[in-house]
Amino acid sequence: MGRFLARRLWEGGLTLAALVTLTFFVMRLAPGGPFSKNRKISPEVLANIQERFHLDEPVWQQFARYVWGLMHLDFGPSTRFRDYSVGDIIASGLPWSLTIGFWAILIAALVGVGLGMAGAMRRNGATDLVAGLVGVIGIAVPIFVIGPLFQVIFALRLNWLPVGGTDAGWRALILPVIVLALPNIAYISRLTRTSMIETLRENHVRTARAKGIGARRVLTGHVLTGALLPVIAYLGPATAAIITGSILIETVFALPGIGRHFVDAALNRDYPLVMGITLLYGALVILFNILTDLVRGWLDPRVRNG
Amino acid sequence: MPSTQMTAEPLLSLRDLTVRFRLPDREVVAVDRVSLDLAPGEVLGIVGESGSGKSQILFALMGLLASNGKAGGQALFRGQDLLAMKPAELDRVRGVQMSMIFQDPMTSLNPYQRVGDQLAEGLRVHRGLGRSEARQAAVAMLERVRIPDAAARAMRYPHEFSGGMRQRVMIAMALLMKPAILLADEPTTALDVTIQAQVLDLMAELARENGTAVVLVTHDLGVVARLCDRVAVLYGGRLMEESPAEALFDAPKHPYSAGLLRATPRLDDAMTARLGTIPGQPRAGGMSPGCPFAPRCEVKLPLCDTTQPPLREVGPARRAACHLLEQPA
Amino acid sequence: MADKHLSTTQLQFRRFAKNRLAMASVFVLLAIVLICFLGPYAFPFTGEDADFDHISAPAEFIWPHLFGTDDYGRDLLVRVLEGGQVSLAIGFLGALSAGVIGVLYGAIAGYAGGRTDGLMMRTVEILYGFPYVILVILLSLLFGGGTLALFAAIVFTLWLTPAVIVRAQAQSLARREFVEAARAGGMTPARIVVGHIVPNCVSVVIVYGSLLVPEVILSESFLSFLGIGIKEPQASWGNLIQAGTAAMDTDLRLLLLPGGFLVAVLLSLNFIADGLRDAFDPNDR
Repeated sequence: MGRFLARRLWEGGLTLAALVTLTFFVMRLAPGGPFSKNRKISPEVLANIQERFHLDEPVWQQFARYVWGLMHLDFGPSTRFRDYSVGDIIASGLPWSLTIGFWAILIAALVGVGLGMAGAMRRNGATDLVAGLVGVIGIAVPIFVIGPLFQVIFALRLNWLPVGGTDAGWRALILPVIVLALPNIAYISRLTRTSMIETLRENHVRTARAKGIGARRVLTGHVLTGALLPVIAYLGPATAAIITGSILIETVFALPGIGRHFVDAALNRDYPLVMGITLLYGALVILFNILTDLVRGWLDPRVRNG
Repeated sequence: MPSTQMTAEPLLSLRDLTVRFRLPDREVVAVDRVSLDLAPGEVLGIVGESGSGKSQILFALMGLLASNGKAGGQALFRGQDLLAMKPAELDRVRGVQMSMIFQDPMTSLNPYQRVGDQLAEGLRVHRGLGRSEARQAAVAMLERVRIPDAAARAMRYPHEFSGGMRQRVMIAMALLMKPAILLADEPTTALDVTIQAQVLDLMAELARENGTAVVLVTHDLGVVARLCDRVAVLYGGRLMEESPAEALFDAPKHPYSAGLLRATPRLDDAMTARLGTIPGQPRAGGMSPGCPFAPRCEVKLPLCDTTQPPLREVGPARRAACHLLEQPA
Repeated sequence: MADKHLSTTQLQFRRFAKNRLAMASVFVLLAIVLICFLGPYAFPFTGEDADFDHISAPAEFIWPHLFGTDDYGRDLLVRVLEGGQVSLAIGFLGALSAGVIGVLYGAIAGYAGGRTDGLMMRTVEILYGFPYVILVILLSLLFGGGTLALFAAIVFTLWLTPAVIVRAQAQSLARREFVEAARAGGMTPARIVVGHIVPNCVSVVIVYGSLLVPEVILSESFLSFLGIGIKEPQASWGNLIQAGTAAMDTDLRLLLLPGGFLVAVLLSLNFIADGLRDAFDPNDR
């Protein structure tokens, strides 16, 4: 198990290193960036950039500085918000995004698995229909359509919840979390259902039944692990999906998370901020992938050696 | 019609056992009114080609039929009809009074659980043994089935065992509770030829030790010759012949049995002798009004296509269903 | 029922045709495509013409402004239809491009095997794990922004899925005898890949690639929604929906009309993709 973990960490580290390098060069090469010649920037900002980024030094030295800075969690200055560094901005937005993301994944996992299992055990019943419906909506109807629709229904017409913004405290998070969770509920329930049905058909489940140990024990001891493995494996990519979704959610519901900052930064060519957030997301995805791999390795002994 | 051999009460009595499967466009009869008896401690072989329904008999007894399958008739065991029991009631029989081992050892064990724990599970559920007691008994059983270094191996996972070893684990799991009946569905078909004999002999030895009766389903007559006291020959879901093993090999009564024997290579055949083949292909049963073997039978009568031959006594403790064997009135 | 001897492909298409939901979706999709591309000709104006006599007119279903106008006086329906042209065109072209790139990449990787394959797939793995939006936005920035950059960015992120699928297929094909025979006969690897591997991947590509079209449309839509994709005054369902959300407390139709079209297209495409999957790979259910 230790070797497995070590290997994953090593691979993750490599990916991160590749990402950092990529980030550095994208910033320097992208058109319209602070480093490109034809950008119309005021002389003060230009001087500021020259100084901050040590552009007179050779490239490899700039790169070394950049990496050094990263290790101190210093992503550099924002070119748009003169008084703030990228790190400041990220720190202000992170709590929002993490909270929403966390709850969305939790709800998506619980509801999704629940619906999926119900659907698998009671084939073609009412639950299957509900699950199917949620599935279709979650997968085909985009978040930026559902979001505003829910806002119209639950906030504007029914007045149960706030439309957006941060004034209403935690109540403002209910709608965003639900909308963000929806496509993942759809996917996870479908995944669980298929996986469950397949596992129920497997030979080792038949053996378990043949041992006369009772239906409940067959389920908990022999079916569940196998059935849930694909779902657990999905949780890694689910992180990436949640990140993607949160960018839209934060825009629709006017929440000051890092997703919103990312979009703004992209629109305003604030490259240090764009790349800083990119690195953050990259690190998060790598981290969650390693975590899910660990859990899978713990549950499925065959993964550990492969 | 019950089997003719019984002097004592049979341990298991199948009466007109039928298994049907519902497909989207039709219904298939996999087992067609099979009646057999099993005496305590005897080894009964059920032989037939793939698709003859032989495995489904075992699944029906254990309540393991697929969801579109339905069993009819009776299966009497210790005064109860297994086919009429609900799954919860069956749980008191299976795994403890009647056990089963399956064809594919590579996929029949739980890949996520340690081998020792899987063995111990039956003991803990049925006998209420504690963890360490059960584990000890499991290790002892692993030693009994000649798994080397049993104590350490019990802590391993199935994927670390070879196919032959996994099947021995399955045998251990099935016989650990000393059941009265062991159902074996082609236990060595998926194994290397070189270890088939070993595994079979082990199974037979353990069964004999505990007085466990065995129902062995196989398509391999060599296996039958090695282990079985009696043989039932199935074709198209119907019982074609039932006989003590030696008698069957000496002189098969049913054309199908004879065909099977001819198709089996023997060590004393001349090198240039040709293997007999049975022309045609098997089809799922229940379709024709006549004998299911008629389309492929080389010696059939016109009667065979229209009327199913009934099972009749054709010798001491022997039955067969064939119009050709009927004595002229 | 007589058992006519049909080729596998014919059987598969037959199975698809029996799927009522999928066939209905095909019709809906075709209808929408026709309306979007031909509809605007029925009207005496374009989506950019401002009709100053009818600013912010509501949807009263009277000719010529059937669904009213926006606050610039532009006819809503025509704008939605023109937006549809853009979204659908990008959708199909993008899916096709991503598909072609992905198929070639996957076929080469799967056939080559060994370290080439390892390297190629490592790259894919890394890209794959990345949050999709980030990648697309980054790429579109890198390519300078604008519609072409958008198109390139979407294609460059979506080719990954067909590549992975085709590579798996190509791997198993590469070991088959007919490929060995071709190799023994002196065929160059390029010809083997193009002549033997790719054609045999077609059904797999159809099944999984059919999901590419809604993905591209969705990508373009949300990028336009965020303001990074297609920009005003050119209409796209994405930016129309965005404008609709700004007005949604007073006037729902600005949101519902483009939203409705988008959802209808995405639903149809999803059902069609499901139908193709059921028809070509029945083990999936």
